[in-house]
Amino acid sequence: MTEHDERTRAMAAYRISRRSMLRTGMLATGALGVTSLLSACGSSTSSSATAGASPSGSLSTSAPAGKPGGTVTIVRNEDAQGFDKTMVFSNGSIWIYVNLWETMTSSAADGRSVEPWIAESWKQSQDKLTWTFKIKEGVKFGDGSPMTSEDIKFTLDEAGSTKGGWEFINSAIKQVTAPDPTTLVIETKYAWAPLLADLACPNNGIVPKDYGGRSKADFYNSPVGTGPFLWGAWKKGTSTTLKKNPHYWRKDSAGSQLPYLDEVVWSVVADDNTRNVQVQGGQAQINENPPFSTLSQLESSGKVDVTLFPSTRTDYILMNQKVKYFQDQNVRLAVSYAIDRASLIKAILFGHGTPANSLFMPTVPFYDKTTPGQQYDMDKAKAALAASAYPKGFSTVWSAMSGDSTDAAIAQVLQASLKELGITMTIKNVDPSALHAQETDQQYEIAHSYWTMDIADPDELVQFAVLPEGGGHSFDTGYLSKKAQNLARQAEREFDTTKRQQLYTQLQKVLAESAFLPPLWYQPMPYATAKSVQGFFVKPTGLYDMGVVSLNA
Amino acid sequence: MQYALYVLRRLLTLIPVLVGITFIVFLLLKLIPGDPAVTLLGVHATPKAVAELHQQMGLDKPLYQQYLTFLGHLLQGNLGQSYQYRGVSVSSLVFSNLAPTVWLIVVGTVFAVAITVPLAMISANRPGSVTDGAVRAIPLAGIGLPSFWVGIMLILLLGLKVKVLPVSGFGTSFGGHVQHIILPALTIALAQLPILIRSLRASMLEVLGSDYIVTAKAKGLSRSRVMFGHALRNAGVASITVLGVNLAYLVGSTVAVEKVFALNGVGFQMYNAILGRDLPVVQAITLIFAVFVVTVNLLTDLAHAALDPRVRLG
Repeated sequence: MTEHDERTRAMAAYRISRRSMLRTGMLATGALGVTSLLSACGSSTSSSATAGASPSGSLSTSAPAGKPGGTVTIVRNEDAQGFDKTMVFSNGSIWIYVNLWETMTSSAADGRSVEPWIAESWKQSQDKLTWTFKIKEGVKFGDGSPMTSEDIKFTLDEAGSTKGGWEFINSAIKQVTAPDPTTLVIETKYAWAPLLADLACPNNGIVPKDYGGRSKADFYNSPVGTGPFLWGAWKKGTSTTLKKNPHYWRKDSAGSQLPYLDEVVWSVVADDNTRNVQVQGGQAQINENPPFSTLSQLESSGKVDVTLFPSTRTDYILMNQKVKYFQDQNVRLAVSYAIDRASLIKAILFGHGTPANSLFMPTVPFYDKTTPGQQYDMDKAKAALAASAYPKGFSTVWSAMSGDSTDAAIAQVLQASLKELGITMTIKNVDPSALHAQETDQQYEIAHSYWTMDIADPDELVQFAVLPEGGGHSFDTGYLSKKAQNLARQAEREFDTTKRQQLYTQLQKVLAESAFLPPLWYQPMPYATAKSVQGFFVKPTGLYDMGVVSLNA
Repeated sequence: MQYALYVLRRLLTLIPVLVGITFIVFLLLKLIPGDPAVTLLGVHATPKAVAELHQQMGLDKPLYQQYLTFLGHLLQGNLGQSYQYRGVSVSSLVFSNLAPTVWLIVVGTVFAVAITVPLAMISANRPGSVTDGAVRAIPLAGIGLPSFWVGIMLILLLGLKVKVLPVSGFGTSFGGHVQHIILPALTIALAQLPILIRSLRASMLEVLGSDYIVTAKAKGLSRSRVMFGHALRNAGVASITVLGVNLAYLVGSTVAVEKVFALNGVGFQMYNAILGRDLPVVQAITLIFAVFVVTVNLLTDLAHAALDPRVRLG
C-alpha cells in the first residue's frame, strides 16, 4: 500500500468513524478476542509486546520508573486540524490533545471497560437517573490553578451545547450541578447505561471554567488542561509540540513524578519510507503509521520494535436495500459467503488481521465470538443465491473510492467470486467526497466502508447500524428490523452486565443472519518505536498516554 | 532605450497570461467533483447547514460572479480560508511554508549549474574522448530514474549507511537548514543534469568551431581564457533558456521531493491539500507556482535579451 492509500483510508475513517462515536458500558463478560487476534498477527512481528506494555497510565500498574527528561518525536502521515475539542473530528488532533486534557473516566487498556480518572468514584440513584461523582482533590491545571467540579460542569455544559460538533455524545445528559468543589452531579434524561463511557470521550476533556477568563477562540489556540503536557506550539503542516506540565498530579508506582519526558513533538512526514527511515535513523522515535507492507522489513532491521496494538477498526460491505436485489436476504447471504476474507487479509494487511464474524469487534464490550457471521464458502453462496428470487444472477455496480487500494482489492476479489455465481459486478471509481454523498443519499448499489470506535461501548455503532434515530440509515443500507431495534433499545437502558450481554449476543446473531452488512476483518494498529522508547501503549480506541513514556538511552 | 521598450512589451504580454491563469485555476477546481461545503462540515452536514454555508461562501451565486469575487479578493491579497484548518487564512498557511521550497529551488539550481558547467566544459574540450562519453552517458541515467527514488537512495546511502547527513526534515537553524537541504537539492539537481550538460556541451562545440574562437586562439590567448572568456559566455546564452524551462519542471518536482524528504514546504502542502480537498490551498499554491514559472520565463527572456542584443530586435 502506498501512503496515498493510507491517507485516503484515513480520510475515510474520519468520514465515517467519527459519526460513530462511542459509549461504553460497565465491564463486559465473555472471552476477549485480543489474544487470538494478536496470535494471528503473524510471526514476523513482535505482537506480544502489548501484553507487557504499561497499560496507558493506569494507576494500578507496576511499570518500572522511567528515566526523566528527553524529547520524543512521533512521525505521522497527517497533521492536526485544530484543537477545539468540541468540534474537531480528526484523529490527527485527538491523539495529541488527549495528552493535554483529561476526562472524568478513562477506557481501560483493553478497551472493554471504563476506569475512574479525574472522578475517583461514583454512585447512582435508585431510579438510575442521577449520578453523583467524587472528584479527585489536588488536581491542577497546567497554569497552576486548582481544578474543581465547577470546571467540570463548565466543560460538560460546553461540550453538550456546541452545534455541528461532538455535542451528540452528551445528548443523554439533562443537567450538571456542582454542589461542592469535589462533588459533581449528573442527571440524565433517561436511564442511560453508556454514560460512564461518554464521559471518557475526548470531547469531554476538562477545561477551566470560562476558559480561565479568555475567549473561546483564544483558549483553543493555546489551550490549558490538567493533562501531563502543556501547550507548546503548532506549526501548521509541519509539527505540534507539547511540553512537560510541572503541576501534573500523577506519580508512577515508584513515587516519581510524571510525565518523564520534557517534550513531545508530533511531526508530519507524509512519505511512508521517510517515516520508517527517520525512526531507524534516530531522528524520530515513534512512527504512528508504518504501512503493513513494511512491517517485516522494519522488524528485521533490528533498530526498531514493531507492535501491533489491537484496534476497533472493522471493515464492512454495504449493500443498498433501495436496490431490489439486495432487499432479498438470500442475495445478501450469497454475497457474504462469496467474500474470500482470508485472501483479502493476506493481500491488504499482509496477513496481519483476522476474519470478522460479527458487526461488533473483539475490542469492544459485549462482542460475542460465537456470532454466526458468514465465512467464505462458495457452495453455500451458490445455494443461497439459488434460494433467492434471482437464482440466475444479476448485474450490479461497485462504487470504489478512487485512489484507495483497499477498496480496489476488495472489489476485485469479490468481483471474481460473484462472477462464479452469475452476478456481474462492474467497478466504478468515485471521488471520495462524491462517494460519501452517494452513500448518504443511498445512490450507490454496493460499496465498502469501515468503522472505528473512540470509546468502548457498542451503543453508538449499534445506533448507526440499527436504530433509525441514530441517523445512519443503517450504514446507509436502509436496513430496518423491528427485532434488532428492540434489542438495541433494551440494551441501551440495561445496567446489568449479564443481561446486557445476552441482549447484545442476540442482536449480533440477528444482524449476522440478516447479512445486511457483512463484516470483513478485524485489524491491528501497527506502530514502530525506537528501542529506547519505554512504556508506549495504544488503547484500542487509538489513544495513547505520553505521560508514562520515557527514553532509556 | 531599446531594451527598456523590450522589457515593457514583455511585461504587458504578462497581463493576459496572468488573467488566463487565474481563470483556469478557478475553473479547474469548479470542475472537481465534491462539494466544498460538505467537505467543510464533514459527516454532520445537514442540508440546511450546507445551504447556509453555500450562502456564506458565495457558492450559490452564478459562476461568473464567483470568479469576479475571487479576482477581487486576489487583488487584495486575500486567498480565502482553508477548509482543513478551520479559521486559518490560506495566505498565512502558504507563506509560513514557503521557506523550505525557496531553499530547495535556489540550492537545487545552484547545484545544477555548479555541476553542469565544469562537466560540460570538460566534455566539450575533447569531444569524442572517453571522458566526453562518460560525461554524456552517466547523467543520462538520471533521466530514467524518478526523483523520489533517487531521493530514497540518497537517504539510505548518506543518511542511514554513512550517516553524514540528516535523513530528512528542514532543521531549525540556518546551519540546520543548510545540512538538511543538501540531499533534496542534490536530488533535484541530478534530475536536471542530463539536459543541461548536453545543451551546454552542444552550444560549446558550436561556439568553439566559430570564427571568433579561431581568431582568439590565433591571437595567442590562453586556452582557459578562450574557453571561459569567449566560448562559455556565448554558449551560456542558449543554456540559460534551457535552465529557465527546466525551472518550471523543477517547481513541479518539488512536490515529490519535499514529500520524500519531509521538507514541509508548499510543494508538500499542495500534496496534502489535494488529498484533504482543501481547495483554496490548492488554488493558492497552483497560482503561486504558475506565477513563479511565468516570472522565471520572463527573467530568462530578459537575461537572454541582455546578453544577446539580436533578441531585442526580433
